[in-house]
Amino acid sequence: MKRNFLTVLIAGMVLLVFSSGLHAKINVVATLPWIADIAKQIGKDNIAVTTLVKASQDPHYVEAKPSLIIAARKTDILMYNGLDLEIGYLPVIIESSKNPNIQPGKIGNLDCSRFITPIEKPSSVDRSMGDVHPLGNPHYHFSPSNILKVAQGITETLVTIDPSNESYYRKNYQDFYSKWQEKMKQWKGANLAGKKFVAYHTVFSYLAKEFNFQIVGCIEAKPGIPPSSGDIQKIIDTINKTKPSAILANVYSPKKAIDFVAEKTNLKVILMPHDVGSLPGTDDWFSFMDKVIALLSEV
Amino acid sequence: MKINKFIPIHCMLIGLIIIFAPIAKCQDINERIKSLEEMLKKQQETIQKQQEIITQLQEELKQIKKQAAGTPVMTEEERPSYISGTLFGASSAYNPNISLILDTFGYSSSLKKDELEHWNIPGFTSEGIDHQEGLNIHAAELYLFAPVDPFFNLYATIPVTQEGVELEEAYLITTNLPAGLQAKIGKFKTGFGRLNSQHAHVWNFVDQPLVYRAFIGHEGINEKGIQLTWLPALPIYTQFGIEALQGENEVLFGNDATTGLHAFGAFIKSSIDVGPYGTILFGPSIVTGKTKTDSIEKDHVFSGDSTLVGFEFTYKWKPSRWKSFALQSEYMYRTQKGKLQDINTLDVQNLKRSQDGLYLQTNYQTGRWGFGARYDLLEPFNDTYKLDGTNISFGDKPWRASAMVEFNPSEFSKIRLQYNYDKSSRDGRTNNEWYLQFIGGVGAHAAHTF
Repeated sequence: MKRNFLTVLIAGMVLLVFSSGLHAKINVVATLPWIADIAKQIGKDNIAVTTLVKASQDPHYVEAKPSLIIAARKTDILMYNGLDLEIGYLPVIIESSKNPNIQPGKIGNLDCSRFITPIEKPSSVDRSMGDVHPLGNPHYHFSPSNILKVAQGITETLVTIDPSNESYYRKNYQDFYSKWQEKMKQWKGANLAGKKFVAYHTVFSYLAKEFNFQIVGCIEAKPGIPPSSGDIQKIIDTINKTKPSAILANVYSPKKAIDFVAEKTNLKVILMPHDVGSLPGTDDWFSFMDKVIALLSEV
Repeated sequence: MKINKFIPIHCMLIGLIIIFAPIAKCQDINERIKSLEEMLKKQQETIQKQQEIITQLQEELKQIKKQAAGTPVMTEEERPSYISGTLFGASSAYNPNISLILDTFGYSSSLKKDELEHWNIPGFTSEGIDHQEGLNIHAAELYLFAPVDPFFNLYATIPVTQEGVELEEAYLITTNLPAGLQAKIGKFKTGFGRLNSQHAHVWNFVDQPLVYRAFIGHEGINEKGIQLTWLPALPIYTQFGIEALQGENEVLFGNDATTGLHAFGAFIKSSIDVGPYGTILFGPSIVTGKTKTDSIEKDHVFSGDSTLVGFEFTYKWKPSRWKSFALQSEYMYRTQKGKLQDINTLDVQNLKRSQDGLYLQTNYQTGRWGFGARYDLLEPFNDTYKLDGTNISFGDKPWRASAMVEFNPSEFSKIRLQYNYDKSSRDGRTNNEWYLQFIGGVGAHAAHTF
């Protein structure tokens, strides 16, 4: 009886070890929802993805909560936006995680901005201009051409870390690329060229550049600092002069200033998704972009 | 005649050959010229096509260069020459991150200067308050930090005060140890409690709670030593830490207590998330060691052993950048056993004291405004102070109540007004204190811990 029990126990343990070995997934921690989504589209069933920042949060201001640190503790890859977007919390998470895999310089430390060309890089900065990003505008996930490069970079990283599944990742990338091409045609057909908008924060610069429309100004004149009454008067003047179609807001933008400007200028406010999952119907990056283009085409 | 008959034919043939040969040759040359001309034409076409491609590429390159303007991508000739041109090469690229934080405050008290200097907590500490009425510079703190190599990060905190330059912290921290282990070596704020490891400029109030003043002193447990922490890969954040310390804290230990490392600490910190935006952080800490201090009573030196036990609890709810609520408390229990000597008479008495204290504070933030309230109490449960076996009573339980309002113009600056109703002197007197604090930070963006 005892021996039987022992045999079953050992068999069970062996099975457990083997099954866990067979289904060992690559652990990925992504800071932002859109990065998590691109990773999932390339890694699919081979990877397990944890996202640190919620879609409802402003990715500039997140606290390095212990739950985020423990999430990074055992991960194989940490994928992040870069260009100093996560500078207020990511260094603490990386160091406190005590995880050698994700330290700077390691293959598991994946700065996704490495694959793109940043825009709006200031030639000189000081904080009297607000919290300007000295490496350039970090909101490049609105740019389909950049996202394709990021997807490629993620593919290469997964291939390097998990070479046995190379063909799987490459096939998934090909699928991603085909879908991207198809969607691109659709999006380019929306014809946003020449349109004008006002934004709260400089989130839409890459989008405007790629689809040839114009952001004539930002309500938040200095990044990270709520606008003064002078700033608000200035943007109202700009609106009256340039006649944009609408004000673009995010779920985390302060409502009061936006509503005030909207009321004074009779402009429509469009609540734009700033990331995957931040508004209904933006469950992955493609539907997120669908929604973005659709909302901009409506006005 | 036969011959004659043939001659004209021959002549004709020869003539024909003579006449036609060059014509045939001419025809051949013409064809060749024609084909050459065609080839030339074709080549010209190719060249033209290539020229078109070249101009097109040039145009594209121009566009790309235009787009890339201001990005770090540089062509060979655009690359600045200082990399190889200066005496020290490009080594300035390896300069550490630097930031400077100015912490300054205006102070006003209902007490006179002389009373303030003697505003001690009887039975706990003989140290008074050394703020000046009017403006005080707490410090201009210089922070330097950078990776040393793939194995260590280095941090240094160098506060510059009116008294001079100090080395508050300077330590290496490992980045490459396996199994969730990490070591810290150098001089650092130890892992005891919650506020102890934080820099003063991130506290939610201008000053430290009474328990810190009574048991640890205004410099905190900031020691030369080695710390080893372990973060096991559990679903719930739990960090374990042990420390071997020099034991220089002037209230709790003292440099002269004995030679070598003579203080040891341990702590556990756990954290769980409550709902989507709430977080709880809690855990016990202990630090124990040999003591020699003159901070208990004026003109007295204490030698013996000290143990400080603490329990911390923090709840923070932060749904967005613009809204947060926090509740934070620490309880500390300190026992000391040893000899208290009068430095004038050289009389020695046995001292045994077991005392405790706590604070409870709450903060609420909306937009750029923050509000806070704090309550301090010493001896809530334990008030043993035995000299040669006789318990001594020092009067009322020391307590204090504080209220605070702050405005943060940006992430990098803060203006704070705080009022303290301080009843820590145990004799019925009150210290009504007002602080107006200004904090501003420049330089590298340091990430904040939770």
